[in-house]
Amino acid sequence: MAHKSEDLFDCILMADDRFHVEGYREGFDEGTRQGMIDGRKHGASHGAKLSMEVSFYYGFGITWKCLLQNNTDVKARKRLKVLESLLGLIQKFPHEEPQYEYLQEDMEKVRAKFRQTSVIM
Amino acid sequence: MNDTLALLQKFNAHPDSRCWYVAWNPKGTLLASCGGDRTIRIWGREGDSWECKTVLQDGHQRTVRKVAWSPCGNYLASASFDAKTCIWKKKNDDFECLTVLEGHENEVKCVAWAPSGNLLATCSRDKSVWIWEVDEENEYECVSVVNSHTQDVKHVVWHPTQELLASCSYDNNVCVYKEEDDDWECRATLEGHTSTVWGLTFDPSGQRLASCSDDCTVKIWKECQPEGGQEGTDAAWKCVCTLSGFHGRTVYDIAWCPLTGALATACGDDGVRVFKEDETADPDQPAFSLSAHVPKAHTQDVNCIAWHPKEAGLLVSCSDNGEIAVWNYQSGV
Repeated sequence: MAHKSEDLFDCILMADDRFHVEGYREGFDEGTRQGMIDGRKHGASHGAKLSMEVSFYYGFGITWKCLLQNNTDVKARKRLKVLESLLGLIQKFPHEEPQYEYLQEDMEKVRAKFRQTSVIM
Repeated sequence: MNDTLALLQKFNAHPDSRCWYVAWNPKGTLLASCGGDRTIRIWGREGDSWECKTVLQDGHQRTVRKVAWSPCGNYLASASFDAKTCIWKKKNDDFECLTVLEGHENEVKCVAWAPSGNLLATCSRDKSVWIWEVDEENEYECVSVVNSHTQDVKHVVWHPTQELLASCSYDNNVCVYKEEDDDWECRATLEGHTSTVWGLTFDPSGQRLASCSDDCTVKIWKECQPEGGQEGTDAAWKCVCTLSGFHGRTVYDIAWCPLTGALATACGDDGVRVFKEDETADPDQPAFSLSAHVPKAHTQDVNCIAWHPKEAGLLVSCSDNGEIAVWNYQSGV
């Protein structure tokens, strides 16, 4: 009969620990759910910023290409060459792969090319 | 040490401000200096002393950090904290500002002319290195913008004979660039220094590169051919020598004498040192020894050191206290 009385008290004594574990588990699950939501928002906003930047450079490049296309003087030819190089870099850029290994490096190359292009125009 | 480094002349070049850099023109007849007072001063020899011939004062709105003479000696380029690089043309005793190169986002830290005379390199706190091409009509065009460094780029230097560029940075690395398809790219990153690399210099043959750093050491790098010697693969640069224990503070500048092969350093402990290479050492494992040392060459940090291009042993240094000092180095061999 000592067994049964132990179980009774066991319940009460371990209540603290039990609720602690349960509470932790519930909290962890809730955190994971919230984390997913926050992460998605974060990724979406960063992705948007990056594509906004790349599309800006692309638009800039295409516009100037259209403006200079029919110009035959030497300076325009040189500028077109740099523009083509900028457009080429952007076209090569994998737009659908967030895990692309060289993402940062290639972005830096695109940015540097844009800086050179804007100084030359 | 039976070698000597004797002071020939010391004068105040930039009153109440730092003298950041000194550069000899290719013939060695003029000395250009620049400083925190936003001016560039041109010094000419009058007998035994150096006199100020010209002051270029309206070119920049902030500190002029470095100046560089074109290989023909008719042009002077100046890099400034106002984010601009000015190109000056020499007209008798005066200089006229020909053009202003803009593009860097903030302080331009260095400018250097390629030995061919039609390429110019600039580097900046904006972490980029720009390469400019100059055509027959003196038009400057940006050929490449390279972002290989992750921090402030302190110095750029051209190889003496090949079209090769080297830069060093606050990110502790040295980068070597080559042209590929009309675009300049970083072909090698030299890691080894444990703090900011402040200066670079090629040896007279261009086979070795010396770098100096905030980690108080000087490193000598050599280009080694890769195994198999395939066409197109880049040679790697290896550190073949480290000079440590000689400098008490940051080494701000280093210069390799094109005539004698001696190596001079400018240090934050106010001293100027000259190192001589050990002739008997294995070429792949060079050894240098301290040949001459002036502990208090200036009363503040020595910012720059430059060997005269024609007169062996003639050396010039400048300091944070605005002074320029001219030295004579004699090797007692």
